[in-house]
Amino acid sequence: MSTKAKVLIGFGVYLAVSILLLLIFGNDGKNEAFKPQNEFKLEPWLSIHIAGIDFSINKAVLYLVLASLLTIAVMVWIARRMVDRPNRVQAAVEMAYDLTKNTITGGSLQGELARKWFPFIGALFFWIWFSNMLGFLPLPTNTEHTFSIGGLEIPSFAIYAATANIAIPLVLTLVVWLSYHVEGIRAKGAGAYFKSWLPPGLEEMSPIGKGAIFVIEVISHFVRLISLSVRLFANILAGHLLLLFMGGGLAVLLGIAALGALTFPLAFAFFIFEVGLVATLQAFIFSTLSAIYIGGATSASH
Amino acid sequence: MDPTVLPLAAVSSEAVESAGKAIALGVGAGLGSIGAGIGVGFIFGKEIESVARQPEMKSDLESIRWLGFALTEAVAFYTFIFGLIAFFLA
Repeated sequence: MSTKAKVLIGFGVYLAVSILLLLIFGNDGKNEAFKPQNEFKLEPWLSIHIAGIDFSINKAVLYLVLASLLTIAVMVWIARRMVDRPNRVQAAVEMAYDLTKNTITGGSLQGELARKWFPFIGALFFWIWFSNMLGFLPLPTNTEHTFSIGGLEIPSFAIYAATANIAIPLVLTLVVWLSYHVEGIRAKGAGAYFKSWLPPGLEEMSPIGKGAIFVIEVISHFVRLISLSVRLFANILAGHLLLLFMGGGLAVLLGIAALGALTFPLAFAFFIFEVGLVATLQAFIFSTLSAIYIGGATSASH
Repeated sequence: MDPTVLPLAAVSSEAVESAGKAIALGVGAGLGSIGAGIGVGFIFGKEIESVARQPEMKSDLESIRWLGFALTEAVAFYTFIFGLIAFFLA
């Protein structure tokens, strides 16, 4: 049998099973009780309010701490037991270290500046990578719904990532944003740094035209705050939402059980796509752009 | 019912609101991904073209390709997220 026939038969069986399930179970109508946004709701586990600000411990805090501990533990552990003939874990970490040092930092920063900023950019990469990867491990964090084993109430297994909450990418972005301005002012002096925002080739232009372009440049620097943070946040959140909807959320929401059979294989495909590409790519992008911003603020020409 | 009354007036404002939210999500996720799709295709197409012309540049182009891919692909998610905000939170 040719490959084409096998693919066609496989696809036919896939469709037939879905149609059969639709005929058996039918349509239960829209489900109003299931709220997909509640999967991302942060339930306070330990309520702490200081001066009107909410410092409650919730699952985002747990993921934040887990990602930080995992990053520190893995890197310290690998550094302590370095051997000449690396095993697979050490080889993988060395490859990632080489990527952060030579491709990400070395691509935009040189010499003293690269030596100074490499620890920060490397830590950004590893922390975001661990946080994204943790986001695809089901952990018992959903305290809204529990199940019991032997009288013990256990929260449902759910996926969530620290980076799927806008607050955390935003704080990382603010740190990067402030540090590249500080580094630029330190390298060139305040006046020269702000003058360097203007693109070269405007010497002949009137002051009004220069002012207008300067305003656009100021806006573009503020837009970096949004684009850098929302890129990471939206990628991870959209990935989790896709997994939620494909892995059964859509079938429950619309009340059509057969839709679950149709979308469940897609959930596997998206899971592989998210774990294999998006999680690493977003960590890479965030740290590369941080390095590019610091390099751009300190380089002589615009 | 008075035949001169427009049919629109008979629709409750709740229905209009939920329809608006659904349109926001559909336009956000659907139209937004058109632009990003064209952009991602363009990046990979250009990269294949460049490697076909200069195969020795392959390793240099790889990191630029992923940078361009991630920057372009994020545009689809911006619109998607704003559509979701309109649908679930507005």
